[in-house]
Amino acid sequence: MAGQSSGAVARTGDNPFLRAVAALSTLAGGTAAAMIVAAVLITCQMIWIRFVMNGTTVWQTEAVIYLMIAATLLGLSYVQRLRGHVNVDLIPLALPPRARKALAVLTLSLSVAVIAVMLWYGFEFWHLAWSRGWTSDTVWAIKLWIPYLALPLGLALFLLQLVADLVAVLLDVDKPFGLEDA
Amino acid sequence: MDPLLLGLIVAIATIVVLFSGISVAVGLLIVSGGFLIVFDGMRSLELMPEIFFGKLDNFALLSIPMFIIMGASIASTRAGADLYEALERWLTRVPGGLVISNLGACALFSAMSGSSPATCAAIGKMGIPEMRKRGYPDAVAAGSIAAGGTLGILIPPSVTMIVYGIATETSIGRLFLAGVIPGLMLVALFMAWSLYSTWRTGDVNLLRATPYSWREKVEILPRVLPFLAIILGVLYAMYGGIATPSETAAVGALLCLVIAMVIYKLWDPRALWVVLRDSTRESVMILFIIAAAGVFSYMLSSLFITQSIAEWIGTLDVNRWVLMAAINVFLLVAGFFLPPVAVILMAAPILMPIITTAGFDPIWFAVVLTINMEIGLISPPVGLNLYVINGIAPDIKLKTILVGSLPYVGCMILAIILLCLFPGLATWLPNAVMGAGG
Repeated sequence: MAGQSSGAVARTGDNPFLRAVAALSTLAGGTAAAMIVAAVLITCQMIWIRFVMNGTTVWQTEAVIYLMIAATLLGLSYVQRLRGHVNVDLIPLALPPRARKALAVLTLSLSVAVIAVMLWYGFEFWHLAWSRGWTSDTVWAIKLWIPYLALPLGLALFLLQLVADLVAVLLDVDKPFGLEDA
Repeated sequence: MDPLLLGLIVAIATIVVLFSGISVAVGLLIVSGGFLIVFDGMRSLELMPEIFFGKLDNFALLSIPMFIIMGASIASTRAGADLYEALERWLTRVPGGLVISNLGACALFSAMSGSSPATCAAIGKMGIPEMRKRGYPDAVAAGSIAAGGTLGILIPPSVTMIVYGIATETSIGRLFLAGVIPGLMLVALFMAWSLYSTWRTGDVNLLRATPYSWREKVEILPRVLPFLAIILGVLYAMYGGIATPSETAAVGALLCLVIAMVIYKLWDPRALWVVLRDSTRESVMILFIIAAAGVFSYMLSSLFITQSIAEWIGTLDVNRWVLMAAINVFLLVAGFFLPPVAVILMAAPILMPIITTAGFDPIWFAVVLTINMEIGLISPPVGLNLYVINGIAPDIKLKTILVGSLPYVGCMILAIILLCLFPGLATWLPNAVMGAGG
């Protein structure tokens, strides 16, 4: 089957590196959840000001969008740890244990590679916004390096969790693709 | 290289990568990155994070986490069970009894939760044991809930429809309305089949309902009405033009959380965290696919694949209904393997130009597409709902669930055919409420 949670949360054993990464991802996940709640509250506050107080709002819409983007990027590593990113695991399910492990190593390595590339250029993009002092072209004119910071930060955490997952599969701490009865 | 041939290679590469068991979003980034490097050079990758960020930089997307929080807080409560009981008590005079209240509860709960597996789980937990206790065949008990649960992505508010609206830049309000009549039509078809198959068992007692007193009928209402009122309020605010879907959904999310805490006593911080964690997981998963699919469609159009396919289809001299049939088969097959959101996001940039060139209404197409995705939810090999039912009632064989669901797949195919014959089923309501065009 495809879908989420085709297994439990990624296992760490008592490997200190895996546990540290797991703790970081959980922290990032908590932050992401808090950001989503903040987005709910700010949107409600904006509606209150606009429709009940008949006032105008300046920063809310933008802030809410950036909170949602930051929540998505910071949430990546935590959702990876919860195995919440959907995949199609028909072929891994059909494979014998050794081939399944090899495939898991291959897919995780490819994931590490592509996220590393994204992180590299994401950092460049953020750095450009920071060094040139870009601001958004709205009334609020927020310094764009602040929301853009979610790119390098979130992708770095995601990369770390992917590396940890790869290590866990290589060390046989965790099952490939989180599938039981290998 | 000829963009059409290139498109074929991209399609094959995407299928291979996605079937490797890699997560869908990362897979899309890998395929996009790979083709960009080969055909546009290494430097073209530097745009990827910017496009990724830009794709998420959209206020309309906020409605996704908001509707998910609404659904998750409702699903965390006993609301499913209460709704089920309320319908059972109120529908006593309707012939057909239990299976009818089950399907009705599925339809209502899917409107509240917007999620198919959540509906299946919430109503099935109560409905399946109850139906089996009263002697309904296992296949009917499991099949009706599996099918009823799929309504979650069609009846508004539906996250799937929001994603379609964002991917194709069509009005989310119209899309929601377009799902209403086809949704009710599906409910009616499901009910008709359930009654027929129950009647066929020869046990007439099953079609009778148990009588309830007025006291029993009234006392359950306070537990059911608040959530229904919020959903209706949210929809009213949207269509009254008072606020955008994202804004109304945010208010709805806050209200649903508060009601879950007050009426259902969701005070325990751990229980509250489970709701927030599940919402975050679901939202991040969908938003990540949206952003990655944005990079994917950038790659497709920067290699001129999207444009060439649309042109090529334009020059093909095929009947538009043959084309629609082919698209349906494609969607059906894709839906067998991939979650609805992923199918919509990958297919939308390619299919949209084709659909509009062939003169189909994108709003109408959204409904056809969604019913296709519903079929995927109760068909092997992926069929998420089948596994949810399997989890709730482990002693019903997966094969029985599957066989029980098949006639409902037939109902859905019938619904698609009806929609092709009478497109007004989907387009009439949005046009009547929001005016024609747009």
